[in-house]
Amino acid sequence: MNERQQVVYATVQASLKRRYARERRFRTLGLSAIILGLSFVLLLFADIISKGYSAFVQTHITLPVYFDPQVIDPSGQRDPAKLARANYRKLVRAPLRALFPEVQSRREKRQLYRLLSTGAAYQVQAMVLADPGLIGQTRQLALLADDDVDMINKGHIDQASVEERFGTAYWGWLQQLKQQDRLHTRWNSGFFTSGDSREPELAGIGGAMTGSLYTLLVTLLLSCPIGIAAAIYLEEFAPRNRFTDLIEVNINNLAAVPSIVFGLLGLAIFINLFGLPRSAPLVGGLVLTLMTLPTVIIASRAALQAVPPSIREAALGIGASHMQTVFHHVLPLALPGMLTGTIIGMAQALGETAPLLMIGMVAFIVDVPNSPLDPSSALPVQVYLWADSPERAFVERTSAAIMVLLAFLISMNACAVALRRRFERRW
Amino acid sequence: MSEMQSASGDAPLFDQSFQTTGQIHVDCPRMTASRVDVYYGDKQAIYDVSLDIARNEVIAMIGPSGCGKSTFLRCLNRMNDTIAGCRVSGTIKLDQQDIYDKRLDVVPLRARVGMVFQKPNPFPKSIYDNVAYGPRIHGLARKGDELDEVVETSLRRAGLWVEVKDRLTSPGTGLSGGQQQRLCIARTIAVSPEVILMDEPCSALDPIATARVEELLVELQKNYTIAVVTHSMQQAARISQRTAYFHLGRLVEVGETTQIFTNPQHKLTEDYITGRFG
Ligand SMILES: Nc1ncnc2c1ncn2[C@@H]1O[C@H](COP(=O)(O)OP(=O)(O)OP(=O)(O)O)[C@@H](O)[C@H]1O
Ligand SMILES: [Mg+2]
Repeated sequence: MNERQQVVYATVQASLKRRYARERRFRTLGLSAIILGLSFVLLLFADIISKGYSAFVQTHITLPVYFDPQVIDPSGQRDPAKLARANYRKLVRAPLRALFPEVQSRREKRQLYRLLSTGAAYQVQAMVLADPGLIGQTRQLALLADDDVDMINKGHIDQASVEERFGTAYWGWLQQLKQQDRLHTRWNSGFFTSGDSREPELAGIGGAMTGSLYTLLVTLLLSCPIGIAAAIYLEEFAPRNRFTDLIEVNINNLAAVPSIVFGLLGLAIFINLFGLPRSAPLVGGLVLTLMTLPTVIIASRAALQAVPPSIREAALGIGASHMQTVFHHVLPLALPGMLTGTIIGMAQALGETAPLLMIGMVAFIVDVPNSPLDPSSALPVQVYLWADSPERAFVERTSAAIMVLLAFLISMNACAVALRRRFERRW
Repeated sequence: MSEMQSASGDAPLFDQSFQTTGQIHVDCPRMTASRVDVYYGDKQAIYDVSLDIARNEVIAMIGPSGCGKSTFLRCLNRMNDTIAGCRVSGTIKLDQQDIYDKRLDVVPLRARVGMVFQKPNPFPKSIYDNVAYGPRIHGLARKGDELDEVVETSLRRAGLWVEVKDRLTSPGTGLSGGQQQRLCIARTIAVSPEVILMDEPCSALDPIATARVEELLVELQKNYTIAVVTHSMQQAARISQRTAYFHLGRLVEVGETTQIFTNPQHKLTEDYITGRFG
């Protein structure tokens, strides 16, 4: 080594330590940022899951129900219309009275009956309507318990508070039921199939899920073709001039507009001007389309830009027309990217709440919608509604609904990632 | 032309009276370019180039990097149309027909004047579909057998048939670089163009693959007119009948390949081929 080379070597050696230290610092910083982020996510998930998991089971009280012909069908004609109108509450109350003969006062009786949900009577009614042959028989039935019973059974309310709020007798009844092995938790299928209700034990996300599904369907059917077509036109066919620049700026702007503004727009245009029904998933879908369009367009344009120019040149070079080049070669290569963008847009739309509040999808709606024109709610709005309810039982339902929402979001985003992985760079 | 100055001195390299050295005209041209100027935005890339391309000849275009060879080549089938801001003036004729005529459709033009690019660019589709694409979109072969035949002849002509006949359905992108380039040539000749433009078709290939492509060019010359841009003077000498030397957007000299390489008339040409420039 000559002198100069020795100096260089020594300097390089001397600086190495500093360089590596800097690299280590940067790595630690990055790692701690990730750990911080992950721990917040974990915290959120732990909180939601710990609060919400118990909503997936529901407390039932097993009671011997006598399908009393005197109550259900005194005339014995088995007329379905009459069967439907019978007083089933009486049937489910009878075994309770028999179990606790010491309860005499009206006030206490009323409290005793409230161990059961109002849904219990409907349970029995449905059984009778399905099979009138049950009339005259006695069956051990697991009847839906009231939400307070459910909460106490799940240990969310302790003895002291129960005795303070409901009296000592109430606690005693529950203990007795427990000793007789009449208190059970069962898989809460109603949570996924029923609509909203004032009674927490009857409330479910079925209506909200269906509403969200219809809303997303409308959004997908509109934003996917419109967005992709707009992207193809802007990227491949539109002349580059002031006007298209203006469009481009506005599309980017649109992506940044607060979603509530879209809600106001939807209210003014779709409902007030066009007279579309309030609270309908159709309107929700239209509003969310406005919101997701920029996302879809921007992602689709990026996907089109990512197609290497050599492919276009190859096609043009053998005499494919512009249209053929785009549709035979560019589009197939860009499609996975476009779909990824669409799915991410859909996931955003699924979680969007504010614009739906503006168009009335926040109303209390018991029935599960049958079409995009029926009034309905949506999953995130349902979360918002339940989070506002005072009953303790709605707390766990809120968390459970969030879990379902998150499950949908995660699987949609996973789909997008899988799609991207699968079709990444085929050329 | 004060902006066009030689690398070394301040004296203008080309003045107003500059004329291409050598015979730019041929007896029976397939393509004629006359007084072609090309601009990228405000920047002029080609200055007043006139050149005939004869039938069934291989013409080589050589010159230092950035001198406008690719630009000129791309004018010949209007591939420059795809570049925003690129403007061409002058006339270019294919068989006496002005290809920059407003009424002329570029789609049939590009079917008649095909192009092979520097980097092999097969479609991410099967080998068969790569070759069949041109005939399909132009409706040259409709029935399955007919198409099979076109694909086979094209691949045979491109010297690729033996290597790929057992895997026509595997993706074209899975071939080696040299094979991909021959596939691209097969794809181009599948539409039976009259002229084939090639922009440094061998620059991404090893010597063996290069030799195969060169053989192929000599073979193809019987049926096609070929214009090749190349950086290898040996290659130009091996495959071409005429050679055109470009320098800073000008066509400096054109002539018989042997004459250009043994007895260049212009100083710049001489400097370039003797390795003093470029
Ligand atoms: N798309 C473009 N936009 C602007 N200028 C361009 C464009 N393409 C080429 N040019 C310019 O035009 C001139 C000629 O370029 P061209 O690609 O034709 O050179 P070339 O002779 O093919 O060079 P090489 O041998 O390196 O491929 C160069 O100065 C180049 O910078
Ligand atoms: Mg070039």
